[in-house]
This record gives sequence, C-alpha cells and structure tokens, in this order.
Amino acid sequence: MLERLLRLAIILGIFAVLYIAFWKVRSSSRNDADEPPPWRDSRVLVVAAQVAALGLIWSAADYLWANFRARTADIGLELDFGFLDQPSGISIADNPLNSNAAIREALIQGVKNTFLVIIIGIPLALILGTLIGIARLSTNWLLSKIATAYVEFFRNIPVLLVIVLTWTIFLNAFPPVRISWLPFGETFIFNNLRFGFPSIVGGTNFGTFQIIVALALIASAAVWVWRSRLFDRSGTPHHRVLYGLGTFVAISVAGFIALGGPFDITTPEIIDRVYVGGVTMIMPYAAVMLGLVLYTASHIAEIVRGSILSVAKGQVEAGNALALNSFQRYRFVILPQAFRVAFPPLINQFLNYTKNSSLAFAVGFAEITGVIQNLFGQSRPAPQLLLILMIVYLVFSLVLSAIGNLINKRLQIVGR
Amino acid sequence: MADKAETATETETANNEASKLAPLHSDTTPAKWVKDNLFNNIMNSVITVVLGVLVVFLLVQSFGWIAAEEWEIVRVNLRNFMVGQFPSDELWRLWTSGFLLIGTFSLGTSAMAHNAYDDANEKGLVAERSSLLNLLGRFWPVLAFITLIVSFSETWPPVLGVIAAAVGIVVARLAGWALVVPVRSRAVPLMAIGTIVSLAILAGTGGLVALTAGVIALAIAASEFSTLFEGSDSKSTAIRTGGPIVIGAATLFIVSSIGFDGFGWEDWGGLHLTLFATVVGISSGMPIGILLAIGRRSELPVIKGFCVVFIEFVRGVPLISLLLFSSFILPLLFPLSVETPQTLTRAMIVITLFSAAYIAEIVRGGLQAVPKGQTEAAQASGMSAAKIQRLIVMPQALRAVIPAMVGQFISLFKDTSLIATIGVAEFFQYAAIANSQPDFLGKGLQLVTYSIIAIGYWSFAYTMSKESRRLEVQLGVGVR
Repeated sequence: MLERLLRLAIILGIFAVLYIAFWKVRSSSRNDADEPPPWRDSRVLVVAAQVAALGLIWSAADYLWANFRARTADIGLELDFGFLDQPSGISIADNPLNSNAAIREALIQGVKNTFLVIIIGIPLALILGTLIGIARLSTNWLLSKIATAYVEFFRNIPVLLVIVLTWTIFLNAFPPVRISWLPFGETFIFNNLRFGFPSIVGGTNFGTFQIIVALALIASAAVWVWRSRLFDRSGTPHHRVLYGLGTFVAISVAGFIALGGPFDITTPEIIDRVYVGGVTMIMPYAAVMLGLVLYTASHIAEIVRGSILSVAKGQVEAGNALALNSFQRYRFVILPQAFRVAFPPLINQFLNYTKNSSLAFAVGFAEITGVIQNLFGQSRPAPQLLLILMIVYLVFSLVLSAIGNLINKRLQIVGR
Repeated sequence: MADKAETATETETANNEASKLAPLHSDTTPAKWVKDNLFNNIMNSVITVVLGVLVVFLLVQSFGWIAAEEWEIVRVNLRNFMVGQFPSDELWRLWTSGFLLIGTFSLGTSAMAHNAYDDANEKGLVAERSSLLNLLGRFWPVLAFITLIVSFSETWPPVLGVIAAAVGIVVARLAGWALVVPVRSRAVPLMAIGTIVSLAILAGTGGLVALTAGVIALAIAASEFSTLFEGSDSKSTAIRTGGPIVIGAATLFIVSSIGFDGFGWEDWGGLHLTLFATVVGISSGMPIGILLAIGRRSELPVIKGFCVVFIEFVRGVPLISLLLFSSFILPLLFPLSVETPQTLTRAMIVITLFSAAYIAEIVRGGLQAVPKGQTEAAQASGMSAAKIQRLIVMPQALRAVIPAMVGQFISLFKDTSLIATIGVAEFFQYAAIANSQPDFLGKGLQLVTYSIIAIGYWSFAYTMSKESRRLEVQLGVGVR
C-alpha cells in the first residue's frame, strides 16, 4: 500500500518538476521580466491542481481496488465472465427457458422483459398522463377535482408501493385458475395468475397478406401527403385522416377478401392446464405495467398541465376568435405549443420510468434486475453481474435520452 | 425519482397570484354554481353524471371494505410501523428527542415568523400573523395520520404523548413569539442545536457521541451568541475560533456515529427509520452535492470530467442497483483488517452518494441562474475565487433552489422504501412483516397494511409538497 503511494508520488513529482522546468525555460526564452513565479502562475497552478486531483482519484481507486482484490481472493471469488455459460438454475415465468439454459440466455431474456415493460408502458403513460393533465384544467368541477386527487395521490406515495398495491389488488380481485373469469363470451381469460386476450393467427397466404398491408400503409401515406399538398396549394379542406384511413382500410379489406381470409381470430382457452390460442400475459407483468403507468402518468399529468398553462393566453383567445371548437383549439393551437415546452421534462420522466421498471422484481416479474437478484440467490459472482446490470440500465438511459434529444432538437423553434 | 416538473410549479405560482387578483363573486348561488361548474354543456353534463356515479360507487365500496376488514393487524403492529424493533426500555429516548425536536422547531419557526412580521411592518407591507388555524390548514394530513395511528392504540402513553406534543407546540410557538429580538434573530442556530442535542439523546451511547454533540452545540452557541454581549467585531473572531472546533467535532461526530462501533441504528425501524434515513441522506448529501456542482462547472477538464462521470453514472442507474452494490460489493472495498459496517450503514453511504448526485444537478441549476454580472462585479472588487463562491454566488444559488431541494427531499423520502429490498425493516417493509406473523399469515390482509403504509407516506409527502409550493411563493423564486 505505502509502496504504491510512494511510487505514485514519485511519478507525479517527476511530472511536476518537468512541467515547471518547461515553463521556466519558455518564460526565460521569452525573456519576460514580469513573469510571475511558478507557484503564483495560474497556468502552472491549473495543471498542478489537476495533477493533484488525478493523483487523489487515482490513489483512492487504487486503494479500493487493492482491498477489493484482497477480499475477493480471500473468499475465492473469480473475477472473469466464464460463469455466463454455466446453467442458470433459475426458471423464468412465461418463458421456454428452463433451469439448464445458460446464464447468458437468462440475462438476455431479462433484458427483453425490461424492454417489454418499457416499450409498452411509456406510450400508455404518456396518453394517460396527457388526458389527466387536460382533465385537471377542465371547466367541469368534478372532473378536475378527480384528476387533481389522482395526481396528488400517486405523486406522493412510493412507486414500489404502487406496484405492490396493484399486484395485491389483482391477486385479490381476480379468481383462481379453476374458476377463471371469462368475460365477453369466453373470449378473454382473467385469473390471478394469467390474463388472456384474443389474437390473430396467420393461415394460408398470411405472408402475402402482410405484404399487402405494408403496401396499404405506403399508399395511405402517399394519399396523406397528396391531400396535405393539395391543401397547401389550393386551400381545399384536406380531410387527410379520413382519406388516409380510407385508403388503408379499403386496400386491406380487398386483400383480405381476395386471399380468402388469410388469418383467423383465436381466443385463449385453458386445455389441461395449458393456455392455447390468443395472447396471454402473466399477472405480475400486467400489475407492474399498470402500477408504473399509473405512477408515471401522475407525474406526466403535472408536466402537461404546466406546459398547457404556459401557452400564452392570447393563443387560446385567438383560437376562440377563429371559432375553433375546444377539440380543435387543443389539437391545433395549444397542444403543439405545449408539447414543445413539455418535451424535456417528459424525457426525464421516461428515464425515470425506465429506472423504476427495475422494481418489477418486487412482485416476481423476471426483468433484468429480477433475473440478477435470482442469480445472486444462486451465489453467482456479484461484481460481474452487478456490472452487467448497471451497464444495461446505462445503455437504456443513454439510448432513450439520445432519441429524446434528437426529437427535442427538431421540435424547438429555430432561433437566431 | 427526481421531479423536473418545474414548469408546473412555476405556473402554479402564477395561478395563485391570478386567483388572488380575481374579483370575488359574491353573487353565486349554489344552484348557479352547479349549473356553471357541472352542467354548463351537454358534454360536461354527461361527464358529471358518469363520474358522479363512479365516485359514489367507489366510496360505497371502500366504506364497505373498511367496515368489513379486520383491522386487528394494525392494532397489534402499531409500534412496529412507527419505530420497528426499537428496544422497549429505551423508548423514552425517542419521546424525549422527539419532544425536543418539535419544541425547538416550533420555537424557532415562530421566532422567525415574528421577525418576518416585524420586517413587513417596518416596510409598510401587509403583515400576516400566522395563526394556529393556519398551521392546522398546512399540516392537516400529518395530523390526521397521527390521529389515525393514535386511535388504534390500546394503551394510554402514545395518546398522552401526542396530546403533550400538541400542547408543547402551542406553548413553544407562544414562547418563540415572545422572545426578545437578539435571541429571536438566532432562530436557525437554535434549531440546529436542538437537532444535534436530540440526536445525541437518541444515539445515546453516552460517551463519545454525546460528548461530541455537546461540543458542537457549545461551539455553535459560542460563535453565534457571543455577538449578543460584545461588539459586532467579535463575531468573526468567534467564527475563526469556533469554526475549526465545529468542523473537528462534526467530523468526530460523524465518524463515531456511522463508524464501526455502531450507532445502534441497526435496531431502528419503521417510520422513524424512514424519516431518519431521509434526513441523513439529504443533509450528508448536501455538502458533497454542492462540491460536485461546483466541480462540474469547473474549467479544469480532470475535475469537471470526474464530476460529470460520477453524477451521470449515479443518475443513470436505478437506486436498486446501487443498493445491491451496497449490499454485495461495498463490503469488499474495505481492507481485510477492518470489520465491514452493517447493512443499514452501507445503505446510508450509498443513499448519501445517490442524493449527492441529484442535489448536484439541482445546485447546478441554481448556479446557472445567478447572473454572470454578480461574479464579474465581485471579481472587479478584488475578491478571491473562494470568497466569490461563498459570499456572492452560493447564497443566491441556494436560495433559488430551496423548493427544488424540498422536492428532492420528498422523492428521497419515497425512495427510502427501496432499502426494504436489501433487508432493512423500514416503514414499507413492516407491511410484509406484519403479514408474515403467525397470527396473520395467509389471511390476505396485505391491502389493510399497505393502505395504512400508503396513508403514512402520502400524508408526509403531500404536506411537504404543499410546503415547498408555499416556500416558492414566499421566496419569490422565478418572480421578479
């Protein structure tokens, strides 16, 4: 320990001497009589301070690393990633992976599950939050009070509690498997382990049909652009939503009939304790999603409300003067401007959502944190696993904020 | 986690002002009000009817649930929820330190209110004297929660204690208002001394901790109150002599309290621990956070780089991963010769660093809000860089971020529920613990305990968020 520090001090000392000598030589070559001594020269001091800081950080890191190595050696912990190929010994619900699958695959599945929570939850939270934010500003007293109560309730309790609460309510509200609740003529399944929804299953010509749908999308986009251009040129009402949707539906339906019904609708069923047909999700996933969405929506609602209030009052009045109805006023005047203000804090909420999704393990949903906690339980090497966990979240955060910043740049009005 | 809904709170302020300026409609009758606010058009009428039915349905359902559910589990676990496994025969420490804390803070805030009142009178402004009713309006959620908890109690001491605290608050407020001016203007150090002494009573290992706490209290008292008796010059001397003593004693205090001989807080639990962990997290994260914020604005790439990497790393990963770090990796970073600190201590280290990173970003916002002219003017008058930071920039920056800091306090208060996941029995954890007791196992009473926990968190967080909005208006942040 002492030896290491001594070595470091000597190296830093040599650097310092060289540096000061360098300055002395330069200043003497310039022959400047007003040159301050090195210990009062800000150019020297700047570098000296940084060298000292670097030395401090380095020696602290070195000290901790030495302790770490000593301790890991003491308990016989290997610091390599070879364990990733060993069988994981854990099974993940709703997943074909069994406990013989490699740890690597279990981790990948965990990341996929985290992604599933994020990619579906964020849009839902955004929609719910926007609606509630608008509801808080409603002229209807009851509606605005209920929205306020919602926001004040969810903003002021821990997100972990929200998740556990939704999970508990689901657990108590839905019946056990053998007396599952089958609403709408047995097209849905709800029980306290799993939810099932109707879905489509491809039949013959399904591939061709998918291509036709893609073509229909392109065609409707083209119609959208055409109507918009027409509107810009001549001022004829564009009705681009109507035209675009009409094109899409017409082509898709024509394709469906021409191909003789390329897909069927399947409903979930339980046959011999196995779920057949439809799409199913495990109850903890639904609980985590709902909990995170409810919690995040309350924060988004506050942002949306604040940004709507930040739109200049004259804008609303101008909208009124143009006889826009309240939907048009929101759609064309208020929301576009409010969204520009709201976007940076919204990105922050999305990042928070991503980080909060790590709490899903509390109700037994195996996203990446849950998988890694399970592996800790199997006494797998913690340092490497934790490193992987942190890197996964850092990558999610970085990607999300990069996308956010990109959109934000495009949203902002180009100033001078 | 951190709320950045600054726009929302800003407009809230604007709104409050607008409502103050709006004329009072004295001509509204209830019938007219209902027509204007609930049935002013077809759409709204439909919404009102649907929501009304829904609200009535939910209310009936919840009252039915409250009446039907077994609340025995709360009664039995009342003490667990509040203080966890705090030793019975040491409970007097909790009560005494609690009374002391409440007393000094009532005294101090009342004295400060009197100062503000005098100040306003002097300037010829409308001076508002805060009344008990006003206080009740501000703190009703916490009072309601305490009443709820006390109503579950089967024994008399908690009830008497709460009543005594209520009487104490009233008496302390009256006393604070009646204090003479020179004492009154030292309300903040008075509260600091109260906090430290009550901490010492709570920690109570006698020897070292109490001693150092006493020294700190004395040093603050000496440096602050010496000016009362001598000329104003002596203040700087007092600080010069008192300062090092304070810093030295504070270091000793911190080392001895979180140090390896133990603070005794492994026995703490419940709401008490949650509140304590929040206060420790914020107050020890504050100095580190301020340093990080200054470092991030530094022009030296090494220092700036280190601060940026630290802040962005901590803010980029979830708190749960940092807590896992504290429970699995942190013990490995201590030298072999040293016994590793306990779980809670390790969690507190990580929580301190966590809140430091968030505070750093808040403070950075405040620093950016200080106009550049301030620094330039200070430079022009020949102040040193350290003095500019300490006397010119920081006071303005910190004043601007007080509401945001309260916001951070609230989110840390909520986030401390995560230390339950590494096996520390704080407030949230006791909901699960209560349900795993043999008497209640498998009875499905989770909703009962979670609802009590939710009310507890909500009442504190809601009160604080309302207070932060009030502070914002009072400080005039964002208003010129």
